[in-house]
Amino acid sequence: MRSHVAHLVLYSGIIATFFAVLTRRDRREQLRFLGLVWLGMAGGVLLLAYLMLPFPR
Amino acid sequence: MTETRPSAGRLNVDVSPGRTAAALVAGWLVPGAGHAVLGRVWRAAIFFVLVMGSFGLGLAHDGRLALYSPKESFLTGLQLVANFGVGPADVVARMDVYGEAAYNLPDPSAASYRPRIEKFRERQRSAVSAYGTAYLWSAGLMNLLLLMDIWDIAKRRKD
Repeated sequence: MRSHVAHLVLYSGIIATFFAVLTRRDRREQLRFLGLVWLGMAGGVLLLAYLMLPFPR
Repeated sequence: MTETRPSAGRLNVDVSPGRTAAALVAGWLVPGAGHAVLGRVWRAAIFFVLVMGSFGLGLAHDGRLALYSPKESFLTGLQLVANFGVGPADVVARMDVYGEAAYNLPDPSAASYRPRIEKFRERQRSAVSAYGTAYLWSAGLMNLLLLMDIWDIAKRRKD
């Protein structure tokens, strides 16, 4: 798999799920935390990429 | 083991020092197994899938199986910790990749230097190696965090 976006989605998903299960006990809380961490990681990377658009290599 | 009150899909058990040690060892040998020993079976299954899934993705994407080098002892040492955190699966992976359980970069004059460094560099040249390394090291670090979680559960600092 060579797609950057696919790796971003998958890796963020693994990490977000891990920390949600590790740090939260209530199922509802876990899902909420998972969503927040996943959005933070994936969204943060996309935002950073967007901000870097004016600075090509 | 004294079983007290079964609740919410797990057994509530008093944790003796022996059981704590067994959980820590089991958790390092098989990611998630330590939680199963402490009665957290569902959590154990999820952790196993996440850690071994990440480890498998790392291997499939030519992730770096670090070799200790005295020239960069600090960084390569940390990399080894990240790799080794996942347990014996790391040894099996090294035997598959390097042909032996190799953990260090031998002296350049040694006969084993050339084949080992070439295998190492070959994986580094892969276009997806950076992704693989992230998955691989994350798997090891996640498992190390799980060992700390096992300790906290055994000490009743966490549920």
